[in-house]
Amino acid sequence: MGAREKHFRKLFRMDLKKRPLNAELRWRIAKMISLSKEGHIPSAYSIIDIIHYLYANVLKFRPKDPSWDERDYFVLSKGHGCAALYIVLLKFGFLSEKDIDNYSLLGGILGGHPDTTKVPGAEASTGSLGHGFPTAAGIALGLKIQQKPNRVFALLGDGECNEGTIWETALVASKQNLSNFHAIIDLNGSAAQILPIDPLADKWKAFGWDVFEVDGHDEEALASTFRKIASSTTQKPKAIIAHTIKGKGVSFIEGHGKWHHKIPSPDELELIAKELV
Amino acid sequence: MKKIRQEFADTMVEIGRLDPKLIVMVGDISHGILQPFAQQCPGRYFNVGICEPTIVNMAAGVAKTGLIPVVHTIAPFIIERAYEQIKLDFGYQKLGVNLISVGSAFDYSQLGCSHHCYTDFSLMSHFKNSHVFFPSSPIEFNLLFKAAYKNREINYFRLPETPHGVELDPGKIEIGKAIKIRDGEDLTIVVVGPQLKTALQASYLLSNRGLSVDLLYYPTIKPFDQEATLLSIAKTKRVLVIEEASSHDGIFNFVLRTVKHLSGVEYGHISIDDFIHQYGTYDELCDLLGFSVAGILKSIESSFVFKEKCIGLSV
Repeated sequence: MGAREKHFRKLFRMDLKKRPLNAELRWRIAKMISLSKEGHIPSAYSIIDIIHYLYANVLKFRPKDPSWDERDYFVLSKGHGCAALYIVLLKFGFLSEKDIDNYSLLGGILGGHPDTTKVPGAEASTGSLGHGFPTAAGIALGLKIQQKPNRVFALLGDGECNEGTIWETALVASKQNLSNFHAIIDLNGSAAQILPIDPLADKWKAFGWDVFEVDGHDEEALASTFRKIASSTTQKPKAIIAHTIKGKGVSFIEGHGKWHHKIPSPDELELIAKELV
Repeated sequence: MKKIRQEFADTMVEIGRLDPKLIVMVGDISHGILQPFAQQCPGRYFNVGICEPTIVNMAAGVAKTGLIPVVHTIAPFIIERAYEQIKLDFGYQKLGVNLISVGSAFDYSQLGCSHHCYTDFSLMSHFKNSHVFFPSSPIEFNLLFKAAYKNREINYFRLPETPHGVELDPGKIEIGKAIKIRDGEDLTIVVVGPQLKTALQASYLLSNRGLSVDLLYYPTIKPFDQEATLLSIAKTKRVLVIEEASSHDGIFNFVLRTVKHLSGVEYGHISIDDFIHQYGTYDELCDLLGFSVAGILKSIESSFVFKEKCIGLSV
């Protein structure tokens, strides 16, 4: 262990009171990506609170039996945010510290986009945007055909909503009354930088979905929203528009621009640590 | 003569009644003939919509829940438009599917190139866990589908509009096996699809002119029957490949790889070199492209040397 690592570990044990929500998880993401020199930190930071909330409060799963027949399915359609998923899967027992140590390295099971054939808990191999969401819809359809009660949650990016397959799938899911299907849209403003898609909530409503809006960084708001969804009796699929901030939690990473796929330098990692640990 | 597409619909009923895991998803095609399946297998038939990439992608999710999806639509849309979905959602994720196309090659001859597909054999052969079938009579589809559909791998069945009309021994219809139609010494003809009929006619004509043909027909494209191919070409040292598929990859490539170590082999090839900017009937386009007895004889004359045999083959 080098001096800098010792320094961070010491920081990691410091008082946690001033840290943002899920600061520990954010710090693990930054550290993992810095060590391997691969990853999308801001994309992971905009969804980490949502993914953590789902695993902590919503999803049924057995980490030592990832294919458990009664599990709920979580599909990270915006696969480039997978660092957030990996760190949550670590916290909930799907992955080991060794898996994280080998992230993006030869022989490791975790890459810059998730591979379902390798990663316990990753229900789909995503990365090419516009694929995970239809896969998740197919899972929901398959469960419905078999009259199983499992639920399916897909997390997609607002930029990903530029893809045509998102809207094809939205139509099909609505037509097929996939009430067991939930789309969580990480509305972090990426699409606005490229091909704007506002008003997003109106679009999902127009495609026949029940729509909910929530602050994706507020656990109480997430709890309230998922309680409402759980009590819903409509046959429509549910869209949760999660208002988020890209890079949320570290001031100089927040927003759009150079940090999208940037790897922190040692000095920058120290600055990240100052905000998170 | 029964259409192979009708056999597809009938086979879905036959298997669907026995296997509750079979799910049929179509892109607004064959809707009428699949109604018996829809009625006899309720809740397992979906006319999903005109959205082929999404149909294929959703089928991967359906497969993930343990069901066996069958996806059916026109070849250029299911294979070429949805190729990334086949590659990633089934290939990368190691999930199983049965893709059933109609309208391959230039079957939809009067509809133009937007409805043609010459690349499907090549594209669907790039996956280690794929199987490619070209059943060109009803019995071939029925037997091959039953043998393959629940192998949890990628099965592609290209259904031609026109059956070849040649009666085959059902006992010889096996996955990965070529069928020897005629025994000969002078020339191997490797043929797939409806062109079996044309190749067989040509072989009779050639026989009358003193040239015997070893005629091999392949209901399975991949895995390619290398053993039968090698055995024949090692004997004849001449091979003519006839395939309604792209000249730039396909059966000819499989043959070359099979016999690459043999010296002194002569090759001929009848295939599709470029977009077919022509309309007309299927038979008219066959004549235009050389998929005819005359085209076969012409190709033989230009490709092979027979010494004293068969001078002046052209009809």
